[in-house]
Amino acid sequence: MKKFILYIVLLAVITHSASAQAFKLPAYQKFKLKNGLTVFLMEQHEVPLINMSVLIPAGAVSDARQYGLANMTAQALMHGTKSLSKQELEEQIEFIGANISTFSGLEYSRLTANFAAKDRDKIMKLTRDILLTPSFNSEEFEKEKKNALVNLEQSKQQPRSMLGQFFNVHYYGDHVYSNPPSGTVASVGKLTVADAKAFYEKYYHPEYAAIAVVGDFNTNEMKAMITSLFSGWTKGSMVPVKADAVIRNTGSANVLLVNKEDAKETTFIIGGKGIPRSHPEYVSISVLNTILGGRFTSLLNDELRVNTGLTYGANSGFRATKFLGTFAISTFTASKTTEAAIDKAVEVYKKFLNTGVTEDVLQSGKSYVNGQFPPDYETSGDLANLLTDMFWFEFDEKFINNFQASVNGLTLERSKQLISTYFPKDDLRFVLIGNAGEIREIAKKYGTVREVAITQDVK
Amino acid sequence: MRIILSIVFLFMLTGVRAQLSADDVKTFTLRNGMKILVLEDHSIPNANMYIFYKVGSRNEHPGITGLSHFFEHMMFNGSKKYGPKMFDQTMEKNGGANNAYTSNDLTVYTNWFPSSAIETIFDLEADRISSLTIDSKMVESERGVVLSERSTGLENSPFRLLMENIFATAFQEAPYHWPVIGYEEDIKNWTKEDLEMYFKTYYAPNNAVMVISGDVTVDQVKKLAGKYLEPIPAQPAPKKIHLTEPPQTGERRFVVQKNIPTPVMGVGYHVPDARHGDYYALDLMQNIMASGNSSRLYSALVDKKQLLTFVNMRFGLSFDPSLLMIYGQLTQEADPKLLEEALFAELEKLTREGVTAAELEKAKNQKMMEFYSEFSNINGKSNTIGTYEVYLGDYRKLYDAPKEYAKVTNEDIKRVANQYLRKSNRTVGYVQSKVD
Repeated sequence: MKKFILYIVLLAVITHSASAQAFKLPAYQKFKLKNGLTVFLMEQHEVPLINMSVLIPAGAVSDARQYGLANMTAQALMHGTKSLSKQELEEQIEFIGANISTFSGLEYSRLTANFAAKDRDKIMKLTRDILLTPSFNSEEFEKEKKNALVNLEQSKQQPRSMLGQFFNVHYYGDHVYSNPPSGTVASVGKLTVADAKAFYEKYYHPEYAAIAVVGDFNTNEMKAMITSLFSGWTKGSMVPVKADAVIRNTGSANVLLVNKEDAKETTFIIGGKGIPRSHPEYVSISVLNTILGGRFTSLLNDELRVNTGLTYGANSGFRATKFLGTFAISTFTASKTTEAAIDKAVEVYKKFLNTGVTEDVLQSGKSYVNGQFPPDYETSGDLANLLTDMFWFEFDEKFINNFQASVNGLTLERSKQLISTYFPKDDLRFVLIGNAGEIREIAKKYGTVREVAITQDVK
Repeated sequence: MRIILSIVFLFMLTGVRAQLSADDVKTFTLRNGMKILVLEDHSIPNANMYIFYKVGSRNEHPGITGLSHFFEHMMFNGSKKYGPKMFDQTMEKNGGANNAYTSNDLTVYTNWFPSSAIETIFDLEADRISSLTIDSKMVESERGVVLSERSTGLENSPFRLLMENIFATAFQEAPYHWPVIGYEEDIKNWTKEDLEMYFKTYYAPNNAVMVISGDVTVDQVKKLAGKYLEPIPAQPAPKKIHLTEPPQTGERRFVVQKNIPTPVMGVGYHVPDARHGDYYALDLMQNIMASGNSSRLYSALVDKKQLLTFVNMRFGLSFDPSLLMIYGQLTQEADPKLLEEALFAELEKLTREGVTAAELEKAKNQKMMEFYSEFSNINGKSNTIGTYEVYLGDYRKLYDAPKEYAKVTNEDIKRVANQYLRKSNRTVGYVQSKVD
């Protein structure tokens, strides 16, 4: 593979770019049920499929020290309903080749479904049952938990799986945005089915939730169907966590060294304060990040991979959440080239901060972001997730429809201002995962070091 | 009969309104032998270009293992008109992005771009296919990148190690023995001459298939292909690979050490290549055994007995006879002996009793959904059409696939299970932290 890693990061970080020929969001209907549930419907008839995305405004930020609870609750929804066991439910879904899955991330939980248009009635009813009448079977919960614990232990042997989590804890301190969505070995080990049920009863209500259906259906029919299926969902009294608290308790050490004794390479991340997703300059800032570390010819990848062969890939990205956000550079290199790679990454970033971008590079970055934008919103599944994202992060179709104009309007002058305002200069935090015996002295070069073992829980 | 009808009916129904008819794909062959397939789709203002070169690690030998993959990297390092870095710089400046991958059989280059950039993409591709520069300094720098790619893959996943060892153990003579990424010492030691030989032999227009999907017209593609690609001369066909794997005549086993919390386990069975008549039956068998939580192996090993945290079965298209693999991660308490008893009991039950009518119908339904999902974006379209063209010899087979799957009976599944899932035909291995 030429650039497997970069590509993944691009998908994860730069999900927002723009089109050359005025890519517009297809028409959709938005309405609210009486119980407050927000509904988006968009017809797409290219293939006889339907995609659904349901957003529940509770993720790891609502875990309240029971790390992993939102995620285990989302998983537990699939453990059966009042009328069907887990096995019966799975058999019914899989028999017709459909998929229904649930997961929870940092800020919200999501259910997604895709199915053939002809199976609409059946799958939508099952989706309703999964969301409204889950059975919370304790035997299934214990099985899920055991597997989750093995997966958590397994991740501890995989530096790239752990890097972002260690960084979040290192940067956010005790803020809820440092909560690890998959939990920790200690916290998940203590969770019970009763915890999941209580979490469900508190947070799974319609008034702050949204449902988007995109695909091969008739809007009027679908509207009637959603209304009949979901009007019985009762309101609760919860309010989603407002994760806008000030960040504190991050400690005095700016370098976190994570020891993995058998590591042959060092995986590292350098970052600091970012922007929230609703930031008015989000698109322009994304263009500038693309130039720094969001594409193959980016300044970082060009220097660390193409010019020096220090790594297979280097990148940077803004991780924008609803209220706050981070910015970080990350890459990996052989243990013996750790210092060279960190120095290079810092050097490239400083140069970017000091001298900004040239007119040529800015034009190229704009053209790239515009050109790569439409395929992100090509399938019904992409569009269903976009609609629920719009709901959660509070942006509308102008994001898509004005994207090109926003990108094209970015000037060299404005780029300079944005770089100096929104790319963090001070208080940069480093996380290095590698063989501490070999890189401990190098780590000290970048500041005060705190050392932990990769086998420890992150929080 | 009802099942078959409903599948065919569904297929025809959508053929009318969606792009699911073989006639939507237009094909032509250039005078130099390069075949081009075009599927117009104007739903977004973008297009893609996939180029499948029929060269992969099976074309290597010890001493140059990993060269196909390394060559994939070198294709981005400069040619006559577009020098070092200019391929990527030009493409990104025009709104395009690219990637590439190498497998045992193929090296595939992918470009995604706003349709307005199509002529630039043709120019870029033609330049590197016709006149690549193999610069010694670039070769040295790229060795570091590939060593990093190899090391990070092994560092971050036990499954990479597991798969490599299953193939290395199951294949002792055929070229699937070595990993696509190559041996570390080969990566450090192959020469510029090896690369030049590779380019001349395999990067010939007559050894490639190009697929373009998206916001383009067939006429436009014909014109550009004629202008940029047709002047590139054909080369003699590459030498046929004569090494084939002799039948395996006894179970093989391995254990490899790596620090992981619980062992990962895999089993590989020799199975035929993509053009063998058993392909469709094996593929449906795979769905029934391991696709989804209602599949047999998940139900028995993960759900009921809790011996594995997950289970997968992998079987795909290949030029030469390859492997059907079953693998998973052991749970905390799982005893490998009990796991093997339970796994092999499930496989024996399959060979003895076959599958139920409902299981067969489910697998066929799943295939239809996969088919539609692949066609829901232009990348899926190019990738799927190209894959069928290259592996099965004709993209039209993709459109016949629903019929081929519909034909598979329980007797077929029983027969292939009996034929291939035999003890003497398997390799069983573990990656684990404790070894004797």
